[in-house]
Amino acid sequence: MSKRTLLVLLAVVAMVLAACGDGEEGADTTGAGAATTTTAEPVGETTTTAEPVAEAPSSIVIGAVVPITGAFAGGGAQVERGYRYAVEAINEAGGVAVEEFGVSLPLELDLRDDASDPNQTTSIMEELGGGDIVAYLGGFGSPLHAAGTAIAERNAIPYLGVATAIQSLHEQGYRYYFSPFPKSPDVALSTFEMLNGLLPEGERPLRVGIFQETTDWGEELAALWVSEAESHGYEVVLHEEYAPGATDFTDIILRAQTADVQALLSLPTPPDGFAIYQQMGELGWKPPFSMVVRAADVPTWNDLGPAGEGVLFSAGWHPALGFPGIEPMNERHIEEEGRPADPIVGGAYALVQILADAIERAGTLDHEAVRDAIAATDMMTVVGPITFREDGTVPITNPLMQRVGGGVELVWPAESATAELLYPAN
Amino acid sequence: MWLSILGVAVALGVVTDDQRIMTIAIQTYILAALASSWNILGGFAGQISLGHAAFFGLGALVTREMWLGGQPFPLSTLAAMVVTAVVAAIVGVPMLRFRDAYFSIGTLALGVAVFLTIGNVRPGISSLPVDALREYEFTGPYFLALGVMAFTVPVSMWLKQGKLGLGMMAVRDDEEVAGASGVSPLRHKLMAFVISAALAALAGSVFAYFSISYYPSFPFSVVWTFEAILVVFIGGIGTTVGPLIGSAFFIVGRYALASNTEEFQVVLFGLLFIIVVLLLPGGLVEGWQRIFGGSASDVVTRAMETKTGETKGKELV
Repeated sequence: MSKRTLLVLLAVVAMVLAACGDGEEGADTTGAGAATTTTAEPVGETTTTAEPVAEAPSSIVIGAVVPITGAFAGGGAQVERGYRYAVEAINEAGGVAVEEFGVSLPLELDLRDDASDPNQTTSIMEELGGGDIVAYLGGFGSPLHAAGTAIAERNAIPYLGVATAIQSLHEQGYRYYFSPFPKSPDVALSTFEMLNGLLPEGERPLRVGIFQETTDWGEELAALWVSEAESHGYEVVLHEEYAPGATDFTDIILRAQTADVQALLSLPTPPDGFAIYQQMGELGWKPPFSMVVRAADVPTWNDLGPAGEGVLFSAGWHPALGFPGIEPMNERHIEEEGRPADPIVGGAYALVQILADAIERAGTLDHEAVRDAIAATDMMTVVGPITFREDGTVPITNPLMQRVGGGVELVWPAESATAELLYPAN
Repeated sequence: MWLSILGVAVALGVVTDDQRIMTIAIQTYILAALASSWNILGGFAGQISLGHAAFFGLGALVTREMWLGGQPFPLSTLAAMVVTAVVAAIVGVPMLRFRDAYFSIGTLALGVAVFLTIGNVRPGISSLPVDALREYEFTGPYFLALGVMAFTVPVSMWLKQGKLGLGMMAVRDDEEVAGASGVSPLRHKLMAFVISAALAALAGSVFAYFSISYYPSFPFSVVWTFEAILVVFIGGIGTTVGPLIGSAFFIVGRYALASNTEEFQVVLFGLLFIIVVLLLPGGLVEGWQRIFGGSASDVVTRAMETKTGETKGKELV
């Protein structure tokens, strides 16, 4: 081995050893990201002699990472519309007043496509975090949110997300993650409360089957469905697991048929959900009651025809809920899409409302101040009144929708329902 | 020259705290290390493995489990390399009896099977604990990734100039002739397989240390295999510095295209790749040669060889 090679090896060893240390020197040299959030306020007496004049940016930049392509594209399109409509509406109303600059500033949405890939979500969020965004807005689907929230926490930048029901993410101790959306316990509870609330005893689908994808959210919601089923007087007669992206569901469908499943509960991605119900149609079997969380959120579910008819889903919102602000948003949606606002559009719209309100109350674009203002939110939005719990979730009634005749009917809660539950749906 | 590149990279890590630059640099170093490891098997020994991600993923999995479980990171890395090497030795004996396309298909099947299995067995996301997230800095992962990438270069040089590497290349060029000359094809292919897997595990270990949040199946994705192969071909297969140049070209090019061309970046990058391969079958290293001349195929190797007055091991595939 030559001297030069030896020198290179020694340098490598030295670097590896330095890198494996506890990194205190590193913290000193690269802590600028954290420092910028804490040094916004002038320190000491200097503030009394000359008040620093903060130069206003041309806009308030919001970083949004949304699946425009890939498995979650149908849901991502709804999220994108919700963000865009809300930004348009707020800017048309004069923007967001920021006391620090003494002016109102327009919102600017820096929206990126993560192609439904959680690994792209993290790398895009890293890139956005290196810029001047005030907050992150999330995409669609729990895997993408699960990947993104840790990045937000590391960057100490507020993160708001809907279309994610995973509860365990709120049990990590994160400070910057807020999600005004029904979580798995809400989904599981409302499923059986609705059944018992709308169907008389003797007509209920007591034999429950679960198709569970092998993901963290799949495990979480399936376990809650099992426990809620038992406590509400139902029997889980089938619990089948499958890997996301599977293409042949014939086996588990036939097992469900053999087990005489009357209520089939599942939480597939849109492509998986379409495959399951298409194959159920081909096999000529459909239970009297079907709940398809997530996959049936997308409008193209109607393309399944009779196989998808009568399926229920939980998307957190429906325009018939009648909260202030829904009407103009709904009109905008009809103008662009030719139909009332899709369920996820409302939740996404509300996130921008919450963020704009928090920035105004914070009076600054400082991440920590905006985060504190979001945590203290107490306002009316298009999805209803919002206050956050300590863990970033909200107390919310989970509305349940049903795909009927090519449209979406709100069936639960009963007092807001636009139609009676179509049951049996087979 | 190599020391100059290393010096610039070290200086970059000291002077910048730009998150984007650090992220791009770390990704480049990890991919370069992975590509270098594949190059030992594919470039030196001529075995086109399409299941290399399995070893990268195994390295990441063992490291992450042990490290987040409370073990020191260096110990976790060492364990990951040992476990991966043992697995590679066990898998390699039957796998390397396949030849050419059959070996490639066999390794592809292995990689996909492992990817799907891990996805089913470990479905939950792996995120750093909250306390670690709040203390996270890029400096540690940066120098670790740089160190690991730098480590693969002298290992490749040592292999390429030594008896073992020459044996691998002899097997690559003609197994029958090599065998008749007393060079055991299976032994040399197996050594390449095991060393390559252990270095891939080392790269995976850095990935596990650097990544804040990912699904455990992700490092097992076939994407890692194909990116490593792309990088090797872009840089120059069978050369020691090719994977490094190819990796920098690939990652920086991808970021640049993604920023400026949005959804067309995949198509544009594909076209760019085809052009490079068509015009420069020896990769960018060959481009360097055409522009700057010289007889050596690898600028770094050339520098080393000039020092020793030897010319062995210089070739492009």
